[in-house]
Amino acid sequence: MASTEAAVAPGLAPPPLTEEDTARSQDRSRVHHARRHSKRWYLMWLLVGPGILAMLGENDGPSMIAYAADGAQYGLGFFVPFIPVLFAMAFVCQEMCMRVGAVTHRGYGELVLQRYGRVWGWFGATDLTLTNLVTLVAEFISIRVGLAYFHLSAGVAVALGLALVAFTLSGGRYWRWERIVLGMALFNGLFLVAAILVKPHVGVIVSSLDFTPFPGGSFNTLLLLLASTIGATVTPWMIFFQQSASADKGMTPRDVKHGRYDTAVGAALAAIFGVGALIAGAALLVGGHQVISGIQGFAGAGFPEALKHVAGGAVGTVFALGLIEAGAVAILTISASTAYAAGECIGVAHSFNSSPRNALVFYAANAGIALLAAVVILIPGAPLLSIALNANVLATVLLPVSLVFMVMLANDKGLMGKWANKRSTNAIGITVIAFVGLCGAAYGIDSFLQTVHLIGS
Amino acid sequence: MKTEAPVTNGAHHSLDIQEQDLQPQERFEDELIMHLERDQFVAETSRPVPRAPLSTRAKAGLWALRVFVVLVSIMVIYTFIDQLH
Repeated sequence: MASTEAAVAPGLAPPPLTEEDTARSQDRSRVHHARRHSKRWYLMWLLVGPGILAMLGENDGPSMIAYAADGAQYGLGFFVPFIPVLFAMAFVCQEMCMRVGAVTHRGYGELVLQRYGRVWGWFGATDLTLTNLVTLVAEFISIRVGLAYFHLSAGVAVALGLALVAFTLSGGRYWRWERIVLGMALFNGLFLVAAILVKPHVGVIVSSLDFTPFPGGSFNTLLLLLASTIGATVTPWMIFFQQSASADKGMTPRDVKHGRYDTAVGAALAAIFGVGALIAGAALLVGGHQVISGIQGFAGAGFPEALKHVAGGAVGTVFALGLIEAGAVAILTISASTAYAAGECIGVAHSFNSSPRNALVFYAANAGIALLAAVVILIPGAPLLSIALNANVLATVLLPVSLVFMVMLANDKGLMGKWANKRSTNAIGITVIAFVGLCGAAYGIDSFLQTVHLIGS
Repeated sequence: MKTEAPVTNGAHHSLDIQEQDLQPQERFEDELIMHLERDQFVAETSRPVPRAPLSTRAKAGLWALRVFVVLVSIMVIYTFIDQLH
């Protein structure tokens, strides 16, 4: 598994070529050429993708609304340093996914299923499908919120989301899909533009780097904040997506260094843009009081409209466009992670480099889950606000199991050879799992006990 | 990756075939093959990896975590449904 060979060894008969091999090999030939001619920046350009997409895909609609809501409710203190810390945690997890994908050339779902048994593989896929469906509903709502600012209806949001899925799936090449989504994902920077437009005091931002003031409110509110903010940075779909996408891209152990750069750049950009949404949201908090009360992030035009009243039409417009972009990119990446998991667990073709005829399950799962989520937001009276707010929390609660298997795979010497985790990586990984598990469980248990009136709020 | 039909017949090229004897299509395929690692081919990744032995302790730990996560998920979903009312 852990091979460092550059190519097929001479003398050995090559396996039969499929269309997937042909497409991947053409991409790899450019990587070989760039490496041979020491074109460092071109090589970087060829190898970036899965890391940036996983990180910016996670800066999705619910996450950006959550950051803006944190800013509007609590100001900048605590969250300005907390968001980068969470993305540092995400980097540790995602780097493992990339490394396992590059070394084994296999996705997370199929490795768990084959290495640890069908039960664990299907548990993981079920968790993923559940959280992805809930999150995808929230993404369509996010597009709807953004479009509502421009007086466009929910039907337009559904049509836009589904048209994007159909368009990106139409190429039959991983490279094409990745570059289109990557181009769209860069518009996540609109949240940074929104932050600059609200003209924040640099001194206030710098002074908040010491994690103070700590957010007030009840213990349950604090747990909800932690659980939803964690759910905004590390989720099960990212694990499935980055490992499978790294394998689909054709990354090899020689590319691990560039995979790390890709993941680190993605984490840095996601943290900067996330803090941008926080700063923009904090514009609604003047003198410690929320100037517009009762903002419902997912109701009507919500935040963009509120920002327009407080900071001007340009900020509202940029924030609304940012929400549309965040929702659209996440629909594409989250649907892709579902498709990879479906193909890997069923044991059929699962690659963007395969045609729909040869990878029917992969393409059907990709489009099907997006379609299902789109149908939900068109149901009259569906509890969209509650679904959107709980999407991140559910992801946080289910995350520890996925992370445990990730660490197990990354430690598997039989699969990874010399690319297996070092002790320091394991120590950080286990700390992340414990922290995520504790926050998610504490919120779930505390909320439940309050709901059944066993403890007071 | 498993059900896909090979594009070629899987013609294996023996070493004694000279470069100039290859047809353009074969040469193209050979060049492509050179850019992939052997274990990167669909034919190779379609072979399942062997099952890893898990100790009883590890199995018990995984099941405990699984049951715990399911219980907490049920609590979160219950709270979510309760909030709807």
